[in-house]
Parts: sequence; structure tokens; C-alpha cells
Amino acid sequence: MLEALTSPPVAVTLESFTDVAFWTGVGIIAGTYTIFALGLQLNVGFTGIFNFGQAAFMAIGAYAMAILTTETAISFWLSLPLAVLIAIAFGLVVGLPSLRLRTDYLAIATIAAAEAIRLFALNARELTGGGQGTFGFSDDWDSISETIEGWIRDLGWADVPTLFPLLIVVWTVAVLLMYVLSRIQDTPWGRVLRAIREDEDAARALGKNAFSYKLQSLAIAAALGAISGFFLALNLKFVVPDEFLPIVTFIGYAVLILGGLASYWGVAVGSVILWTVLEGLRFLELPLSESRIAALRFILLGLVLIGLMAFRPQGLFGKREEMVLGD
Amino acid sequence: MATETTAAGRPPASASDGAPIFEATEVVKHFGGLFAVDGATLDVRERSITALIGPNGAGKTTFFNVITGFYRPDGGSASLSGTPILGRPPHVIARLGMVRTFQITKALARMPVIDNMMLAAPDQPGERIVNLLARPGAWRRREHEVRAQAMELLEMFNLEPLANEYAGTLSGGQRKLLELSRALMASPRLLLLDEPMAGINPTLGRRLLDHMRRLRAEEGVTFLFIEHDMEVVMGHSDRVIVMAEGRVIADGTPQEVRTDQAVIDAYLGSGTVAERGADGG
Repeated sequence: MLEALTSPPVAVTLESFTDVAFWTGVGIIAGTYTIFALGLQLNVGFTGIFNFGQAAFMAIGAYAMAILTTETAISFWLSLPLAVLIAIAFGLVVGLPSLRLRTDYLAIATIAAAEAIRLFALNARELTGGGQGTFGFSDDWDSISETIEGWIRDLGWADVPTLFPLLIVVWTVAVLLMYVLSRIQDTPWGRVLRAIREDEDAARALGKNAFSYKLQSLAIAAALGAISGFFLALNLKFVVPDEFLPIVTFIGYAVLILGGLASYWGVAVGSVILWTVLEGLRFLELPLSESRIAALRFILLGLVLIGLMAFRPQGLFGKREEMVLGD
Repeated sequence: MATETTAAGRPPASASDGAPIFEATEVVKHFGGLFAVDGATLDVRERSITALIGPNGAGKTTFFNVITGFYRPDGGSASLSGTPILGRPPHVIARLGMVRTFQITKALARMPVIDNMMLAAPDQPGERIVNLLARPGAWRRREHEVRAQAMELLEMFNLEPLANEYAGTLSGGQRKLLELSRALMASPRLLLLDEPMAGINPTLGRRLLDHMRRLRAEEGVTFLFIEHDMEVVMGHSDRVIVMAEGRVIADGTPQEVRTDQAVIDAYLGSGTVAERGADGG
């Protein structure tokens, strides 16, 4: 009995759990996906449009920033707003024909658009580097990062992880965006979006141009996707098409479901929990090969989501009344 | 397409002699081979309470959907106070002052009652995203006015205690009242109501009718409503327009319509109600 307790079949190594560099990396991914899923929250949770192409906006943000910085005379800093504008333009191009479609058709149209972007990136080797990807765009960021690192060292933390400045910046941006989005949700503009989510025809009958609002919602989601793409690129220091598979968008939806619909702060909590579970499970010591453990992580994540659906279907921050009333 | 036309050839309405606020001429809407609205011509006099009746399948709701922009018309013209509206999008028509409600109420379920109301107010600069930053004072001031106006209307309809409840928690009758008061928030000149009395109890129905009469008297609102309850139609409207098979077959005071042979035939289903033209109007 005692023996069984001292040597459990499943063990978690404690050192890796306290590895600051490792959790810095997890924190950056969680912050990146927070910004990514804020766009989904605006679309799905507040406007009722099912955007399944968010990964494309992330890809466009990352690629546009990388290509403009390395291939043109445009500076890294100027490339950021330009990349956001390019993503917004793409959002409008996708939205103009597809936002008139019914929900399910819109989902298919957006996922197709996202795959088209990814496959374009994979094949337009001259522009994107194809499967090899694009790199060499992060010099300006790296020098900023070193400066921040220096400040932190001056505060007395000698072995600060190299990526720690990125963690600070990604979460600063994420919190700022959550704040701004929450504020504009609480305005007449946000009220029109929610009305469209509830019943588009009712909103139109009351004089609201639903199509224009859906387009605005998608354009803002595109901008948020592009910003998350910057952090993805700066984290990896390269941009490759494989980072923008449809599963990226699906993980964004898992973040939404975990955090709850119609809550921007829930997105952050959902993202942190999802990535903690997903990455923390790497430390499970099981008599299995690494690839099997990797697959097992997603099975366990699935169980977490199923458990959530059973006991708290509205997600962690969603409102139960809204869930029940949502027909 | 949308040239202005007067409703010539229509028998003059004796009940309300105000100028027409709304005119529709030869409006056509077909779904494949089915002519749901088959050349409907009618007008609505300003400050009248006009009922639109007809047997099931007469094309009344389709007519509403066409003139409010929810369906694309296949022919004809319509104007509101002389402004052509047929074929324009719903939100434009609503902003011009012709506001509709739906047969099946569309309460915005996961929004509080007060937000349902405030949403409908026109001229809110805060509905444009640039104004949120550019004109923060303007939209906040407007929001203040709109909230006061909404509370006033809710009070009038006895919905005030429910102001902060989700609209989805309201009963069917309360939803009807909410939809009517919400439509009034949009400052309509002409209100189109699709079966406002359906599914509500007679007491509430009477209150609804009282509201309509008072709104006409005090605010000058014109009403066009689809209704099946003949007692309501005959007792509370000053003009009745009868549709059958996509056309207007009779138009007059309740008294005139009640004794009209074409109307009796249409309801009892004897004989053909209208000689159908080869080209459907």
C-alpha cells in the first residue's frame, strides 16, 4: 500500500515544472493565443459570425511583417501597422462576398480562404521562402529585447530568460487590447453588434446596417489576428506555413469555449489554462514514446473540455443565463 | 424603376381623408412560379389605423417583407411620403420612418430589455466606431436622452420593472409589447405590425389597441397592421384593405368591406376572387 503511494504510475518531474525559461515560453504562447482569440471572441461571442479563418489573419500579419522588413527598405516598426492594414484589407476581401452567407456557409468560406493563404505561402517560394520559411526580421526587436533584459538584470534578477521581455510585451499588449475591446463593447456600437448576434433581421428592421457592422467586426478580428502573428513570429524568429494550419483556429475556439462566450477576460484565462494543460502534460512520465505522449496531451485536453461542457457549459467566464436564453 | 405613381383606379377611401403617407403600385413578388404578391396596389392615409386582412396565403406578410426591403421585389413601386423605397435595404427604409414588427416576435433574447429599447433609437453617433473616440461627449449625451425616453416608453407599457431583465425571460405577451415599444423608439411615422394580437390574451390585446389609438392621437403615428381577428379589425381600424391571391380585392371602411361580395367570396372560397391577368399584373 505504502509502496504504491511512493511510486505512483504517473509521475511529474518537479524540476521542469519550476523551469522559468520553459514557462516563459508557455506564457508567450498563451499571450499570443489570447490576442488571436480576442478576434474570435469579437466575431463569435459578440457579433454571432463564425469566422473559421482567423489563422489566415495571423499568417498575413506574420508574413507581411517579415517580408516587408527583410525584402524592402521599410523598417520593422513601420512594417507592423502596414501588416495590420494588409490583414484588414484581406478581411474585407473575404468578408464582402461571404458575410452575406448563412452562418455555416460563412464558416466554410472563411476556412477555405485561410487554407488558400497557407497554401499560397507554401508555394510562393520567391516571396515567402516556401516550406523553409522567412527569417532575419527580428533585429530591431532583439535589440529592444536586450535593453529590457538589461533593465530586469539591474533590478537584481541575474538569470532572466532571453524570451522574458517578449512575455512582458505580449501580455502588456494583450491586457491593453482586452481593456479597449471591453470598453468599446459597452458602447452603442457594441450594442448594435450584440443585436446582430441575437437577431440580424430585428437589427435591420430597426435601421441598423448589419452587413457593415459584420464587416467591421471581421476587420477588427483580422487586425487582432495580425498582431498575434507578430508575436508568433518574434517568438519563433521565423515564419513557416505549418504554423497556420486550420488547427490553430480550432485551438482558438477551444480557448473561447474554455473562457466562455462574450467575455474578453475569459479569453485570457482560457488561453492560460489551455496552454498550461497542454504544455504541462509534457512532463507526464509514462511508459510511452514521446509522440504518443504528445498525442495523449490532446486527448486529455479533450477530456477537460468535455468535463467543462458537462459541469460548466457556459465556460469559465460566460453567463449561464445567456447560455440558456440562446435558444 | 421607382418612378412615382399615384394609386389611380383605386376606390376612394371614405374613412380617413388624410393624404397618403405610403403608396404601393403593382408590387410583385414571386417565388419560382408562385406569385405570392401579384400586382398589389394600395395606399395608407396619414394618421390612419389601417388593417390589412385576407385569407391565409393571400400574400400579406410577403407584401410586408417586400415593402420593408426584406425581400427583393420583382416589380412595382412604393413610396413613403413621396420617397421611393421599393428595393432599398431594410435599414434605409426603417430610417426613413417606416418601421415594422414581425409575426414571430424578435426579442433580442440575451440583451436586457432596456438595451433592446435603446438600440432602436435613431441618430446615435456612438454607433459609428470613429465617434466613440472622436465625439465621446456627443454619444454619451445622446445615450442619456435615449435612456430616459426608453424608460418613459417602458413605463407606458408597464414593462418598467423588467427593464434590466434579459428580454428572453419575457412572456409572449410581454414580448409583443416590447417589440411595439421598441419599434416606437425608432420614431416611426408609419408602423407596420404583423399580427400584433396573435398569441396574446384579450386584455393585453385591448391595451395594445388603446396604445395604438393614443399614439396616433398624440404622436401622429400611422398604423398598417395585418390581423386575423375580425372583431379587432372591424372594431378598431378606420380602413380595411383586403388581399387575396396576391392582390388587393377590396378597400374601404369596415362597413363597406364587410358587405363586399368579393371579400365574402374570398373568405368563403366560392368562385374566383379576381380575374387574373395573363402576365400577373
